[in-house]
Amino acid sequence: MKKLAISVLLFWCIFGIVSLGLTQEEEVLEQPQTFAVYIDMGARENHYIPSGHMGDYGDVKMNTQSLSEPLSGKTCIEFTYSAKKSQGQGWAGVYWQFPANNWGTKKGGFDLTGMTKLTFWAKGAQGGEVIQKFGVGGIGIGKDVPYPDSSVVETEPIELTDAWKQYTINLAGCDLSYINGGFSWTITSDSNPDGATFYLDDIKFEVDPNMKPESKTAEAMPFYVYSDRGAISNHFIPSGYMPATASQDVKCYQSHKENPYLGDTCIEISYNDNSGTRWAGIYWQHPANNWGAQDAGFDLSTAKKLTFWARGKQGGERIEEFKVGGIMGEYSDSDSASIGPVILNSEWTQYTIDLSGKNMCYIIGGFCWSTNIDVNPEGVTFYLDEIKYE
Amino acid sequence: MNRFKSQLGNKNQGVRRFLPLGSFFLIMVSFFFVVGMARQPKSAVYIRKYKDSRYQLFVNNKPYIIKGVCYSPVPIGDNHEYDLFSDPNKPWIVDGKLMKEMGINTVRFYEIGDNPEQVKQVIRDLYQLYGIRSILGDWLSFWDYPCPRYGDEDFREKAKKKVLDMVNLYKDEEGVLLWILGNENNYSFSGRINPWSNEEIECEPDPAKQISMRAKIYYSFVNELAREIHKIDPNHPVALGNGELLWLDVANQVCPDIDLVACIIYRGKSFGNLFESLKNNFDRPVMLAEFGADSYDAYKNREDQDMQAYFLEQQWREIYKNLYAHKGGTGNCLGGTIFEWTDEWWKHYEYAAASWPVHDTGAGWSNGSYYFDIRVEDNMNMNEEWFGIVAISEELQNGINKRTPRESYYVLQELWKNPEGKPEFKYQKSK
Repeated sequence: MKKLAISVLLFWCIFGIVSLGLTQEEEVLEQPQTFAVYIDMGARENHYIPSGHMGDYGDVKMNTQSLSEPLSGKTCIEFTYSAKKSQGQGWAGVYWQFPANNWGTKKGGFDLTGMTKLTFWAKGAQGGEVIQKFGVGGIGIGKDVPYPDSSVVETEPIELTDAWKQYTINLAGCDLSYINGGFSWTITSDSNPDGATFYLDDIKFEVDPNMKPESKTAEAMPFYVYSDRGAISNHFIPSGYMPATASQDVKCYQSHKENPYLGDTCIEISYNDNSGTRWAGIYWQHPANNWGAQDAGFDLSTAKKLTFWARGKQGGERIEEFKVGGIMGEYSDSDSASIGPVILNSEWTQYTIDLSGKNMCYIIGGFCWSTNIDVNPEGVTFYLDEIKYE
Repeated sequence: MNRFKSQLGNKNQGVRRFLPLGSFFLIMVSFFFVVGMARQPKSAVYIRKYKDSRYQLFVNNKPYIIKGVCYSPVPIGDNHEYDLFSDPNKPWIVDGKLMKEMGINTVRFYEIGDNPEQVKQVIRDLYQLYGIRSILGDWLSFWDYPCPRYGDEDFREKAKKKVLDMVNLYKDEEGVLLWILGNENNYSFSGRINPWSNEEIECEPDPAKQISMRAKIYYSFVNELAREIHKIDPNHPVALGNGELLWLDVANQVCPDIDLVACIIYRGKSFGNLFESLKNNFDRPVMLAEFGADSYDAYKNREDQDMQAYFLEQQWREIYKNLYAHKGGTGNCLGGTIFEWTDEWWKHYEYAAASWPVHDTGAGWSNGSYYFDIRVEDNMNMNEEWFGIVAISEELQNGINKRTPRESYYVLQELWKNPEGKPEFKYQKSK
């Protein structure tokens, strides 16, 4: 009897250990189906911190426990953007990071392999607020930091409605092995000159087996580089100042209201050789400052030409080159085309860059100009409008 | 036996009937074969064009991929006036051996020396000792003071004589591969370097048309040279040296006698649209006559051989992809000559003799396509004194600066042995 009792006890012990082991193994193998960035203020599921304030950080007020009709739970996040350009940038944004304030210098982040999308809910206080982009990842990419994110995915500009709406960022096929920038948004004063108030809730990564990697499709024409200040149809940003000293030499004002060719505004560009470099130019890039470090080219293969309108302040200004494409980096433009030198008229004149026979399937550098002081000894001021692929 | 005799007899009758005609035919074939062989030079170089504008280079009827380097091994302390061909230390003997071991089969000379016997000796040594062929170039008087007056007849005649003299002197050298006319001379059309003009151009108010006029004058001149070269040397192709593909649409109108484009191009890890674009604008094969990467990280202010090796391997993979033999590419690439074999220490402060013996770490220009170190102050990331795939030092061996191959040397050595199978070289960015 004693032997039997010992045998039974031993059996249950072994059974228990094996069962426990299996359960633990199952738990290890089981992958969570969601991974929250933000659910509710103080929710234990939250994994990232909205600590990375960028651009005109003085223009942004953040309330992470807004009671203003949250989508779920008790709170949502409220952002108020004043568009005052407190730091002179004309844009602002916030990154959710882990740990807080980690711009890629600290080991943190998460391995989110297996997640295939990020979903979030958003609404504007009035509707019509334009968010330049929402995104996942991107911290430290192309920068000299030890722990850069493994991917970056960003949306096109989004115009918010005054009711909650869910948005999805497709992450299928992306390398999510290290994501420190869990979520981000940026906004510009051009698109929201009177500021904006908007709300976010239930931001989370999800496993969705139905999500497939996005294959790039050719963009529909016309495809604007610039149509009007802050227009949601603008696809490129005049961020690529060349050479490095050009910021001393070139002023680019995208909201010039005097005598635009079409709409409310045109672009005013003034150039003087303050730095002594003797030449300068600007690339319109996607996204801003992308010299080929980010995989973000547009498929413009259906474009037959790029047209734009230009005029000189006085007439006779000489622009050495107007160009599309030609950025070469880790990710390179598939082709390039240019015209020039061009002597500008004082009246609006349309110019065309012929793209027939060109391979425009991948374009980061949507538009570019360059000139120099040798052919413009007094400097130049000129205007551009309605820059578009057709 | 009789039966056999009979049959043989019949056959012999047939042979006898055939003999006069057959003998004549054989004699004629032999005659033309012998004459043809006599006229055929020892080493005929030609380019064959296939359908879909695909091209292949042949030497002695065998396909030839140009795996080369630009060869300008200026010793430490000298500058561009150094004459390799008269150097008693014969650096090409040491270099040729290293080149052969790496897999190099071609060197490119931008311009050759004045002494024909010395030049021939270098060409012969490289070819006979190591099987390395020479591309001979001429600047087309591009650096003549005060400017290259291509718009003037007397200037063109002078430049033409110099080129034709070169061809006449060296066309029968077995080691010669082809001729390259000019380098980046086309950049003078817009006045970026060595601006030139004439009265007709000056009368044109539209600067874009001025550029086209210069292009037409220059390319017509180069085509005239090519035509003359073909008359005296039908056995070597003539290349148009050109910076990027700029203005080749004009060349397309006036250069029927150009055999290939020798493109000078610095686009980082990829040549981008180069091959396809050339096909559309000027349907000729291309050799990348000058391309590469420096081995100095201007941002971190230190040598980075990995960076150079990464760019060069990526570039060569693209060259291979666009050779005739690779069905997936454009098929219009013939190979390339890397810039360059050894570092040139004189370049950064070229007018300060005191700096020629110093390996300067300053950068002379900016190029965002070489993106690893573009964040350096003012984006000046191209270190002109660090483009060699072989480093040199002040220590002398055999009377010349000691050669030390860089990582790119070994990476390309492996790639050339097995272009399809070699694992891709990964650039490890330092933390």
